[in-house]
Parts: sequence; structure tokens; C-alpha cells
Amino acid sequence: MKCGLEIHVQLETNSKLFCECKTNYQEAPANTNICPVCLNQPGAKPYPTNEKAIENALMISLMLNCKIDKNLTYFMRKHYDYPDLPSGFQRTSVPIGYEGELNGVGITEIHMEEDPGQFKPDRGIVDFNRSGIPLIEIVTEPEMYSPEEARSFLKELIRVLQYSGGARGEGTMRADVNISIEGGNRVEMKNINSIKGAYKALKFEIVRQKNLMKRGVEVKQETRAFLESQMITVGMRLKEDADDYRFIPDPDLPPMKVSDEDIAEVEETMPEAPHNKVKRFIESYNIDEESAKVLTSELDLAVAYEEIVKEIDPKFAAMWMKDELQRVLTYNKLSFEDSGIVVDDLIELFSLLQNKEITTKAGQRIIENMPNNKQTPKAIAEELGLIGIVKDDEIIEAVKKTIKENPKAIEDYNNGQKASLNFLVGQVMKLTRGKADPGETVKLIKDNIN
Amino acid sequence: MNIFEKSQAIKNQELKAKDNLDNFLRTIDNTNDSINAFLEINKEDAINKAETLDKKIQNKEKVGSLAGLVFSIKANINVEDFIISAASKTLENYKGSYNATVIDKILKEDGIILGITNMDEFAAGSSSETSYYGITDNPAAPGRIPGGSSGGSAATIAGDMCDISLGSDTGGSIRNPASHCGIMGFKPTYGAVSRQGLIDLSMSLDQIGPMAKDVTGLSMALDTIVAHDPSECSSIDYKKPNFTQTALNAKNSESPFEGMTIAVCDEFRSITDDKINKIVDKKINELSSLGAEVIDFCFHYIDLCLPTYYLINYVEFFSATRKFDGRKFGHRIEDVCGDEVFRRIEMGSYISQKEFSGKYYKHALKARSLIKDEINAMLKGLDFIMSSTVPKLPHKIGEKLDPMEMYAYDVLTVIANLSGIPAASMKAGEVDGIPVGLQIQANSLEDEKIIHALSALEEI
Ligand SMILES: [Zn+2]
Repeated sequence: MKCGLEIHVQLETNSKLFCECKTNYQEAPANTNICPVCLNQPGAKPYPTNEKAIENALMISLMLNCKIDKNLTYFMRKHYDYPDLPSGFQRTSVPIGYEGELNGVGITEIHMEEDPGQFKPDRGIVDFNRSGIPLIEIVTEPEMYSPEEARSFLKELIRVLQYSGGARGEGTMRADVNISIEGGNRVEMKNINSIKGAYKALKFEIVRQKNLMKRGVEVKQETRAFLESQMITVGMRLKEDADDYRFIPDPDLPPMKVSDEDIAEVEETMPEAPHNKVKRFIESYNIDEESAKVLTSELDLAVAYEEIVKEIDPKFAAMWMKDELQRVLTYNKLSFEDSGIVVDDLIELFSLLQNKEITTKAGQRIIENMPNNKQTPKAIAEELGLIGIVKDDEIIEAVKKTIKENPKAIEDYNNGQKASLNFLVGQVMKLTRGKADPGETVKLIKDNIN
Repeated sequence: MNIFEKSQAIKNQELKAKDNLDNFLRTIDNTNDSINAFLEINKEDAINKAETLDKKIQNKEKVGSLAGLVFSIKANINVEDFIISAASKTLENYKGSYNATVIDKILKEDGIILGITNMDEFAAGSSSETSYYGITDNPAAPGRIPGGSSGGSAATIAGDMCDISLGSDTGGSIRNPASHCGIMGFKPTYGAVSRQGLIDLSMSLDQIGPMAKDVTGLSMALDTIVAHDPSECSSIDYKKPNFTQTALNAKNSESPFEGMTIAVCDEFRSITDDKINKIVDKKINELSSLGAEVIDFCFHYIDLCLPTYYLINYVEFFSATRKFDGRKFGHRIEDVCGDEVFRRIEMGSYISQKEFSGKYYKHALKARSLIKDEINAMLKGLDFIMSSTVPKLPHKIGEKLDPMEMYAYDVLTVIANLSGIPAASMKAGEVDGIPVGLQIQANSLEDEKIIHALSALEEI
């Protein structure tokens, strides 16, 4: 199978694309973020295109390694009739970027659009708060060959968008997914609103189409709707009924031109794309690829890492953040951003560990207590009585005492019962209230028996 | 007393704003029922405003430059709380939900907005016969059409119902009725006046402009409404002249046309009625005697103008009317509109189909730049192009014209819209008692020069 995607995501701006209304449409009561322009009242004309939206679209195009169209770009009117579209047409720009690449998948083009309002048939209203919010549409080549590939592409794309700071997240995503299986025609699926939805739709569609083929039924070229609640697709229309949108250049908006200076300016200020960051982390911090990928999986996490390594050994910090921090975040279903864990806390924890003021085990317990905890790691450690590794002679004393008091266990060990060593370690731990390093203790016991 | 002198009289307490208004109200009471120029007036607010202004003037408070002057507004320009129907059943229930930029500017200068004028439905016409609210009569030639589409506006001026009217001009809709009603009408350079709030006919051609009995009325309105509007993308930012000062200076000039060159075209004359040519030629010859040099020019694309104009108009109008889908304003436009509006929507829908993309609309845009280049080349080093405004006299109300005959009214006026240049019409004389207009076109952004010419000609 082959699959291509058309992904719409809202751009991150304070005001709408062609007026000054606010873009917090979800928080605002229905039909309060509106004006004659985004309502398309008779006679209202678009304000000049929101510059922040253009800048964000340009930045995302560059982060997805697109070429930038330096000719005149402009908005077209795409006409169709739907309750949520107060003008009867949607403004959609010609491509800003083209021929990009992400995860080995070609990006055909990237352009801007305005979001329509929200038709809420259940409440019998159209909420125009969303009308005119800037969108970016990213069109890929049909170069994903399994539902899993499509899913990982989308995850990576959302990560790039999140990194860019110029677009909103998966929550505002709407995707059209097209699929063609050898021997059948291209089928397009609409109304997909999440990465999971895209994955499920592809899974369903493969089964449906293969079943048709098995029965010798032709897979027709058509558009289908994805029903999120049931995770199935249903037919919408055949190719012959395709809409004619009667595209014309918008007479109300003058053409725009992206200059080399504009591009240079955006390139200078735009964040590093995650795949480039992975490369740099491996090279400059001498860490392995897996760690680099985990550390760059979230922009805030990557930023934190780069702060931490100013004071902590990069390899040590990478190991702790990849293993222990991730474990805790996953367990609590938190992103780093939302975890309440801050750079200074991690530096304090890692310093305690590196200075051997606490044991690894103690470190693990402390980090488990760190999410959304106002206490510092040191305070947590003190509260849990985890501060301090028992000094070497203290441990040696405990080891000696253990050996002396447990001759039976020593004998068993000497007779080949390795498990009795665990018992001895446990005894040492008990004497030191868990503060001895288990590895070190094993070594000391072995040394002292002989 | 011209309009500038009147505004001075009001400010000097020689004339009360209230009395000026009352004069108009009396005329409206007596004649509007038969002329059908105003669709709606708001007497009470206008009287309140006039009385407030008179008090302010009495108390030596500062008032705006248009204080006490009475305006009528074409029914396709948004004014809060008036029905802005564009003379269509489609919008019979639409109350202006905001003020167009030009309206805010007039109110800021203390102009009194008295009411809303009749027009061709959605400005798609040249006779004001296609209004859902009935035909407007021509006060200057009763029983004949007033021209259009701003026919109601022209009639409020010609019929002494107000001082100044705002119309809109897409292919002659200000100049054509100004010509037929024997008044002055001005279409500014495209972008000089904000279109924010003007209901679309053809967005790349539409322009708001003033109509009045004399040039000071035009120039005072222009001083107010010509301004850069950052909320409208086609609005241009340029150092605007003082139009009123220009108009007044021209009147005092000894030889206002000294050193000026005027182009006339045989192509324009050959499609114009002889009787009209005679009047217009006479006017242009007078200019010659005032020092102007008159040069013959060829305009090669006269046959291209109407097809180009109408193709662009159809497509843009189709697009602009998609919002009238019946959901927000009660009627779906196709269900309730008249024949001409329906024809334009159908044609626009037809020629913008994907299969014709590149065939009609793109050709029209190409033809448009040819026409624009030719006009700009002609105007290079020249001051004016002059001709008749309309090639024939207004027909009698009730006479049936086929669409092509109707379109032919526009042949001389569409050129200015296609090329974005400023153009005006003033009365040149009469044929059998019917007014005939002289059209003056100038280079882009040389609106001031046209005001100078109108003012000088007015003195002859
Ligand atoms: Zn808005």
C-alpha cells in the first residue's frame, strides 16, 4: 500500500488571518470572537494578511526543508457551500514552500488557509469564533507504506510543529488521508482528527479494500468519511461527483512576495528542527542516538538538558534523563513541560548523585517524588531519610560485623550457595539503613571473606 | 451659492444647518414619492444632528469641515441602522451592521447622513430600473431613466434633496447617472478611497466617489473620504492634496488651461451619437481657446473594453454573492434576484469552471492589462482624456432594451475602472432638454488635476 497525507493544523497567532479578532476560540463563548470581517458581513473586506501567520508558515516550511517560492504568492478563493463558511468561499494561498522532506517522506507543498466556523448541528448554531483562524496545510507525497509509517510520520511532524512554536498541536489537527493498494484505486478519507484516527482509518481501509479485492470487486476512486466513534470509514462521494471549487485569485488581497531577507530573518530566529537537534546532541555531548532522540522528543526537555549539562556531566545527565526521568514521566502520564520539574531541581539531584551524597536507589526514589512537588530534591531526600552514603569504613565495619555474626551464611557461600550473598548484602543494608551502595557492598563482602 | 460657500454660511451663522435640512426635507416630502430617489430617510436623527450643530456653532464650539451639509448614501454602502439592501430583495432585512470607512469619516466631519438611495440591484445595471424597490425617475429629464447604477444618488442631487451623495462606480455607475441627470460625479483613482463597507459588485473595479451639483461639493467630500485605510488592502497611501483649495484656486486662475494637453479619440467619437458629440466638441473647443492644446489620439482596444469588463465583473460578482446563501440574510440570492443579477451570477459560475480556467477569466485579465497599458501610454505626458461620458441619451422609462444595448451605455466609462485611473463627469450641455455629460480622465493619482479642470470649466 501507499499512503499520502494532507494535514491541517492551526497556526499560532494572537489574531485571526484577516482581522483583529482573537484566536482563543475554544475558551470564548460562542460567537464572541467575531467582527464584520470574519463574519463576512456584506461589504466587509479582509485586513492585510496577518504577518505573524506568514512568518510562521515560512518557518515551518523551512524547518521541513522546503524550498520557498520567491515569486508572487497570493490567496485564491475556493468556493463551496456549507453552513460554517460565511463567505461561501475559503481563502487558500498558493504554496509558500514546496519539495520538502521529513522522515524520508517527501513534502509536496505547504500553504496557508483560513479556518471556517464550526457548525454545531446538535445545538442548531454555527459558532464563528473559529472563522478566519490561520491554518497551515501540509501535503505529502504518497510515500508511507504502512499505517505504522504514517503514524510515526505524523508523530514526528507534530513534534516539528511543536518545536517551531508557530503552530498549535495535535488537538487542532485535521487530516485527509489517501491510500491506494496495488490493484485498486486511490481512496481519500476525510474527517480524521488525530494521529490515532489516521492509524485506525488506514488499518480499517486496508482490511476493507483487501476484502473487496478478494471478492473480485473493484476498489473505486472515491472520498470516504472516517467515523471516529466507530473507527470505520463510510462512502461520501465518487470521483465523478468531485466539486468544482471555481478557484480565482482573491481580488481583495494584493499578491505577496517573500524576499531573501525575509527568509534569512526567519532562518536566524527559527528553532532547530528536532532531527537536526538529534545530530547535534550526538556530536557535541558524545551521547548515543537513542538518548539523543529521547532528549529531543520534547522541546522543553531538550532545552532543560542543554541547561543541565552546563553543570553536570552530559553523559551522566543523559543517562538519568533518558531512563529515570522518562520512566517517571511515563508512569505519571506527564510531559516534561507539565511535570513541574525544573532544571535547578534536576541539577541538584544529579549533583547529590555525582557527589555520592545519595545512592542510586535513593536517587530513584527521590525522582519518583519530584513531579508537581514544590520541595527540592534535597528536602525530599531529607524527609525520606535518604541523605548520605555511609562512609567506607562504616560500611567495612558493617560488613565485618555481618561476616562475624553469620558464619552459617559464609559457609554456605563458600560451599557454592551464591544466593546467601544476597542475604549478607541485605544484612549490611539493614545495618546501614539502606545507605550502602549495593554493588560496593558485594565487592566488600567478597574481599573480606577471602 | 456653491456648497463651499454654503458650508461657510452655516459656520458663520448666516444659514442655519436646520434650515438647510428643512429645505431638503420639504422637497423630499413633495417629490420623493414620484421620483423614488430615497429608499429610506431618518428625519428625526438628521434634525437632531442639525440642531446640535447649530447650537455648537452658536456656542463657538469647533465643528467639522462638513458641518451641516446633508448627505445621501447609495444603498450598497454600510451605514449603521439603515436598511442596506443594495436594492435587492436578497438583503431586504439587512440592517447596516457597521459603518463603512467613508461613513465614519463623514460623520467625524459633522456631515448629516439623511438617508439611503435607490440603485440598480447590487449595482449591476446602468439605468436604475432593476431595483427591487422600483424605478427612479430622472429629475433633469422626467420620464427618462436617471442612469445607473447610482441613479438614486444622482436623483437626490438633481432633485435638490441633499447637498452631496456618495455613489459607487464599477464601470461608470457614478459618472453615467451624473451625465444623465446633469450633475457632477467623480470616480477617484482605484484605492484612493477605502472600499471597506462597500457591498461588492466587482472588487477589482469598485470605487466609492462623490456626486454633487458643483465642484466644491465634490472636493469637500474628497477631502474627507480620500485617505489611506490600513484595514483595506487596496487602499493606497499617498500624500493627498487639498481638493477644496485646488477647486477654489482654479476659479481665480486667469488661464487655468495654459500649457495643458487634452487627448480626444476618434474611436470614442465614432460610437457616440452625433448630437452628443456636437455638445461635447463645443465644450472641448472652449478649452482650446483657454490655452489648452487638444491632440487626436488612437485607442486601439475600444472593442475589447466591454467584453473584458463584463467577464471580470461576472466572475468577481459570482464570487462576491456566494455569501448570500439564504442562511444569514433570509433569502438565497438566486431565488429572489432580478434577471440581470441572475444572468451575471450564472455567467460568472459558468466561466469560472475548472474546465474553462485560463480560457475566459485569465484572458480577460490579460486584456485588462493591455487596455491599462494603452491608456497609460496615451496619458503619458498628457493631462486629460476627454470625451462624452455616455455615448447615447437616457432612454424613456418603460422602453425595453436587450442586455447588449444596455451594456453599450458603459463603453466609455469602463476604461477608467479597468485601468484604475480617476475620471469625472460634468454637464456639458443639453440635447432636446436632456443633459449630456463631458467625461474627464487623468493619470492615476492625478485626481486633483480633474478637480482643477472641473472647477475651471464650471466658471465658463
Ligand atoms: Zn474578526
